[in-house]
Formats: sequence, structure tokens, C-alpha cells
Amino acid sequence: MTPNAASAPSGPSRRSFLASTAVATAAVAGGMPLLAACGGSDSGSGGGSSSGKDAKKLLPSYVANNVVTPDIPSKNGSSIGFTSKLDLATLKTSVPKKLGKGGKVTIMAPFWGSPPKQDNAYYTAMNSMIGVDVEWQNQDGNTYDQKLGAVLASSDVPDVVVVPNWNMGGKIPTAIISKFADLGPYLSGDKVKDYPNLAAIPTDAWRRCIFGGKLRGLPMPSSYVTNIVPLYRKDIFDKKGYQVPRSADEFLALAKEITNAKAKRWACMDMKWTAWQMFSVLSGSEKPLGWNLVDGKLINRIETQEYLEALEWTRKLFAAGVVHPDAMLGKNAPDAGPKFAAGEFLIYPNDISQWWSRTAEQATQNPDYKIWGMDVYAHDGGNPQVWAEQPAGIFAFVNKKASESVIHDVLAVANTTAAPYGTKEYMATNYGVEGTHYTVKNGVPTKTTQGNNEVINAYVMVASPASTIAHPDFPEVAKAQVEWQQRMGSFTKKSSFFGQMITEPSRYANLMDNFETLEDDITRGRKKISDMQQAVSDWKSKGGDKLRDWYQKLLDDNGSSAS
Amino acid sequence: MASEGTTGTEKKSKAGKLSLRLRFRRDRVLILMTLPAVLLLLVFNYLPILGNIVAFQDYDPYVSDNGIVSMLHSAWVGLENFQQIFADSAFWNAVKNTLVLFFLQLVLFFPIPIALALLINSVVRPRVRAIAQAVLYLPHFFSWVLVISVFQQIFGGAGLLSQLLRRHGYDGINIMSDPSTFKFLVTAESVWKDAGWGIIVFLAALASVSPDLYEAAAMDGAGRWRRMWHVTLPALRPVIALLLVLRVGDALTVGFEQILLQRDAVGPGASDVLDTFVWWNGVRNQDFGYAAAAGLIKGVVSIGLVLAANKVAHLMGEQGVYKK
Repeated sequence: MTPNAASAPSGPSRRSFLASTAVATAAVAGGMPLLAACGGSDSGSGGGSSSGKDAKKLLPSYVANNVVTPDIPSKNGSSIGFTSKLDLATLKTSVPKKLGKGGKVTIMAPFWGSPPKQDNAYYTAMNSMIGVDVEWQNQDGNTYDQKLGAVLASSDVPDVVVVPNWNMGGKIPTAIISKFADLGPYLSGDKVKDYPNLAAIPTDAWRRCIFGGKLRGLPMPSSYVTNIVPLYRKDIFDKKGYQVPRSADEFLALAKEITNAKAKRWACMDMKWTAWQMFSVLSGSEKPLGWNLVDGKLINRIETQEYLEALEWTRKLFAAGVVHPDAMLGKNAPDAGPKFAAGEFLIYPNDISQWWSRTAEQATQNPDYKIWGMDVYAHDGGNPQVWAEQPAGIFAFVNKKASESVIHDVLAVANTTAAPYGTKEYMATNYGVEGTHYTVKNGVPTKTTQGNNEVINAYVMVASPASTIAHPDFPEVAKAQVEWQQRMGSFTKKSSFFGQMITEPSRYANLMDNFETLEDDITRGRKKISDMQQAVSDWKSKGGDKLRDWYQKLLDDNGSSAS
Repeated sequence: MASEGTTGTEKKSKAGKLSLRLRFRRDRVLILMTLPAVLLLLVFNYLPILGNIVAFQDYDPYVSDNGIVSMLHSAWVGLENFQQIFADSAFWNAVKNTLVLFFLQLVLFFPIPIALALLINSVVRPRVRAIAQAVLYLPHFFSWVLVISVFQQIFGGAGLLSQLLRRHGYDGINIMSDPSTFKFLVTAESVWKDAGWGIIVFLAALASVSPDLYEAAAMDGAGRWRRMWHVTLPALRPVIALLLVLRVGDALTVGFEQILLQRDAVGPGASDVLDTFVWWNGVRNQDFGYAAAAGLIKGVVSIGLVLAANKVAHLMGEQGVYKK
């Protein structure tokens, strides 16, 4: 980007002014169109484009590494499930010798919960096992987007930065391309075989790590079935005789029945994420997923009737007073866990991992407590139609300025954290140290209080094995989680850009910035649906329609991934 | 920020008879003593002003690791950012909220420390006075996160007040997430946190009032109220005028952290002020050029306000912040 002569004040708007410098923008991506990786997915109707071939050279070879056969194999895009007892004696070693060179690596990552101290037993044990001195910079996961932009703009970027796809708004993708290292020389093709656990990560997840034509990310593979589950207090439901609602109206009726503010009980938290599923709204977790080809024309989720209906239904819940007041606080609301455990509300939508983690954290002190996941029904009572999420949504990136030895150390960390279920490394990463963080009785590991406090987030954010659900401590939860994914998976469809990693031109990067805020304004009754319609028409005229053309060209060039 | 800029240099002082060199020699010790402060000002207040040029760019901080290099590589857009801002309803909304909060705090907050200072000053027993002062100062040292959490626990939708009401058969009220009363909430929080701290300056001014004046007034038959009106308040007048001028210069700064923490609870419509608008567009959305332009507008308006307020202070016969 060369400095341009200042445009005359009477010139076109800034955004359209920049549109005329499209060439300059493309230069950021290394002369290539900003499409980073593409090509069809497994079920693509027109996959295998030229860019797909380019991607093939960058992708690491896949070498399966099935240490233990899963009890529940993957179906309909679900994770693999393990429900058997744990036998510590038969655990395999997947990293025979320490790959780390003893260097220091700083990692910034989102963290949900209260981070433990740096020198806690879990971090120390992991570091000595890997042979790398990892220093964690844990940041509140709920407000991570507010820190990320500033950190990336500074000259003091940590060695590794973890970025979830839902935090890749604004100019973050450009930052990823310009600030983070190309891992291709270490991982592409057969080079990955130096790190067998990384070689066993599915190719679909690696494909998503290509940013700006280079392999830059270390993926956390995930099931493409939606990760958001409406979690509810099954124990209280059973006791009171509440039935899981099978339509939007039933949900509202039940919510009214449950709510008794006087007794400090509300039905639910903000149900917006569930509403997206019930009303079949295209995914909002990543911008490209929000586009889909309908009758030969690409439409964005915000232009659909379903989007407005979902917002309206969520608004009704707030208006009916069945939503816990904490939900009004939005991202600054305190952790919902304790209030859920106290029964202040009975339903909330969140990541499927909480099904287990909330179970485990309450197990010892609250034996009656039972959290379960609801099946999602279509708003009118039929089978739902849910949109697929990406096969990898969280990535770790290495600073471009990191030395080669730091990169090797990071890969050593990743190779350990990506160890599959059934290995010592998996147990260490997910459960910590036996005796300190968990105890094993009759093949069932139980986390200790220290384990619950220390073994959360952190190392699992660097790289992970193929999406795995394994909870020998709560096999019925693991089974239910995988089966939930399989049922929902059978109702899941892929939208046009599924599986691809797409970086929008930076002149459109800020178009969507204020929609989430507006959604929350509407559901909480501060703005009207008509304000959203106005915002959508502004969005179209400010660049949304041009962005549509841009995506259309991408589709013409590379084909659709829709199913 | 603007106020620092106007205090430092005095080109034509009354001591103009002496040559610059002589004056420098006479004052060199004093000048040396101010040097560290001047350096800090230069590095942290003046140097960053140069960064304002990104207001005229479509600044991309990610082009390079170095902010200055990034500036060289970002496209110039002239006044586009400013045109966009003036057409942006969110900006005008932030301006409106900022001004409303400023006036509200001027009316509801500003007089409270004065009243408290008079109250404390009238307490004779030193022990009671010390305790009262300590209690009043304490909230100043709480962080905003803590203050807002405390308010949330008491006035939130599931807080003490709401549950108390519900237990007695009324509807609960969620003061913390009501956009219509948000400005009063913010003012109340500020009063609770900082009104006590604000009395320090006034107490110092009160301490300097000669007891002779009170005695003389009492001899002339002035009661408590007359003494306060004719002796105490006139003594406070210069301080009040000074603080008012400073406050007006800071009018567009009405709290950042405090509002940011509650932005989600009431939505940007009721809560966005200029500072959070800048933060949202710059830090959150990485639209730094746009945010810098908004910040620059704020700075320019603030300078104008200080100058105007100072002028008014002069007209009222007070010193103000500076004098030509």
C-alpha cells in the first residue's frame, strides 16, 4: 500500500474511495485474491477449484493415529465418543521424547472462568512434560474481541496468539495475515510427520488454517454440528414435571410457568443463540457462513425473514420477564454457573462442553444437580433445520517475529496437546496430574477441587486432536453429547461457503460491526425490529451489495460447499 | 488534555524588562526542577498528539509492527473520516449523551463536595471529623468494577431492592439496565465514589480563612448563615471558579471505564459517550482513522470550552486557569 494522494473532500465516500484501490488491498494478501483457502468440502457440489489445488500443496499430510477405537464412531458430523472405563496402566505414550528445547513461549488465549496462578501445578507439570516454558496470558473470553485488536496493533505481540473465528471481525483477518508466521515450512506435506499428533488432525481442520495463501494456524478441530446446546436443569424439570418444549410457543409457555421472580427463579438466560437454530437462521459465528445461495442469489443472514423472527421471539421472552435479569448485562454479566447451580434460572444456551464441565464442577457438592441438553425443535414444532458450523473454529498463531527455536517449541506444545484420547498426553492436557488434579477409582477419574480450578482452558487452546468427546467420569454425559450431535447433525445443512477460510477485503471489514449490538438492543426492547430493517438497508447501500458481488465471484470461481 | 497545553508557556510576562537570558539565569534552579515534569508531558502528552494524523488516513495498524511505519503506509483520505463522522447518527448520539451527562453532573455532582466540605468544616471534634473524612474518601479508592458490582447487587434486577419489593408483592425494578434513567444512575455512582474525594480542595481553602474574619463578623452581629454567606463562601469563590473552569474544559470527558462497563446493560443508545465511541470504533472495530478523527474533534471542542470558560471567569473577576 503506497500512500495515496489525499482525495478531494468532495470525493466519493471513504469506502467507495477505497474500492478504487482494490489492487492495493489485494496486495496485503500477497497478490492473491483475498480468498485464503477454498475448494470444495467433502460434500461440495462443485469443489476442487484451482485455489483448491494450491491449498493441497500447503496442507499437512494426514496420518491417522487411532490409539483407541472410539466407543461411538462419528456420524452426521459428530465428534467421536468414548464412554469406557479408564485404565491408567494401558495409556499409550504418543510423544516418546520431549520435543521442547526448553525455551520460553508466551501465549495469549481467551479464558472462560477464573485463571489460576502462573506457577500452578498443572502448568508446571505440562511445561516439564513438553520441555517448554509456556507463560500464559489468559484474557477474559467473553470480551476477548475488545483486547485482540489492540494487542495485534501493538509492537508487543506475544509469541502465540489464540484467535477464535467469532473474534475475527473488523480488520483482524488482515492482522493475522501480516503479523503471524507461515508454518508451511514446518508442517506442509510430509514435514508434519515430525509431529505425529499434528499429522493426525483431520485435513478439513487444517484447510481452515490457511490465511493469505499461507498455512498460519494450528487448529482446534470441531464437529461441524452446532456447538450451542440449550442446557437445562433436568433434575428440577423432572421434579416439577416440566416437559422439554417442542416449539417456540411451547418454550414461551413453559418459560412463563417456570418463572417466579418472587422466589428468585427465572426460566432462562438470553436464548438468542437457540432462536437462531429454531428459526433456521444462517450461522453468525463467521461472516462467510452467513451467506447462502437461494434461487441463484446470495443472501445474507441479516436479510432473511427468519433472522427477524428469531429476534422477535427472543424479544418476547425478555418482554415476558422470563429471562434472568443478569442477561440484561450482556457481556459484562457475571459467570452464569453459580446462579444456574442455585436454580435461579433453568435453561441457557452455551457450548456443548459445558454440559460436562458444569456437571463435573457440581458433582461432589451438589449430588442432585443434573444438567442436560435439550433437542432443538423448529419454531413451528417440526424437525429443525440447522446450519453447519466450521470444522475448526479456534486457531493458534505464531508471531512472525518468533525465532525458529520458538516455532519448534510451539509445535512441541501443539504436538502434545493434540494427542488423541487414550494417551498419557491427552490425560495430562485434559485432566492434569493424577493424585493432584484427579483421582481414579474403578476406572473413573474424578477431578479434585484443585483440578477444577487449574485444569481449565489454556493448553487445549493450542491445538487439539480430531473432535473428541470422552468423559470416563460421566460416560452417560459423553454418550448423550455425541448422540445430541448426531441427531442435530441429521438436520444440519451446509451453506455455500462451508469449510472455507475467507478473508473479506478490508474495505468491507467493518460493515457488520454493529449488528450484534443492535440485535441485543432489539431483544431487550431498546430498539425496534424496524431499526434492524433500516440497518440492513444501510448495510446494503454502504457496501453489502458490493460484498455480495464479491462473494458471488468467489462462488463462480470456486464452487459452492452447500449441501 | 487541553488545559496542560495552555498553562506552560508565557511569552510576555510582566517581568519583560529583564532580558530572557537574565531571567533564565535567575530562574534556572526552578526551571531545572520542572524539567522532569516537562519531559513527562512531552513524552506522554505532546508526542502522541502527532498520532492525530491518522485521522486523515484510512489507518491500518497491521501493515507494520511500528506505528509510524504503519502511518507512512496507510492511505490518505483527506477529510473523509470527518465527513463520515458528521453523517454518523451514532456520533451525534454520543455527543448528546456526553453533553447531557456533563450538565447533569455539573448540577447534581459539582455542588455536593462544596456542601460536604462546609459540613465537615463545621464539625468541631477532631475525632469525629477524621472518621467522617475517612468514610467519605474511601469509595474513591474502589475500582469502577467494584463500584458497579456493588450497585448491581443492590439495584440490579435480581438485587436486594428488587427482591425486597417482590417479597412485598410489588414488581421488581431493574435500575441497572434501564436506559431511560441511565444518566441518573451514572451520576449517582460518581457521587458515591468521588464526592468525598472532591472535598479535599475545598477543605484546604476553608482552612485558609482567617478566624479573625469570623470573629469580626460575629461582633457585627452576623449569625451562622450570614457568616457562611459573607465570609466562608467568598473565601471559596476563587477555588470554585477555578474548578468550574477546569470541569468545563473536561466537559466532554464524562467517564470512560464506568460507562464502558455498563454499555451492554443499557445499550449504546443510552450509554455511548464520546470516549466510548472512540474506543468502540478504534480499539474494538480497529477503525483507527475514524476513531482518531472523533477524538480530534473532541480535543478541539475542549480547547474552545476551556478558553470560553476562562474568559467567563475573568469577566467575573476571578483568576481562572491562566491570565494573559
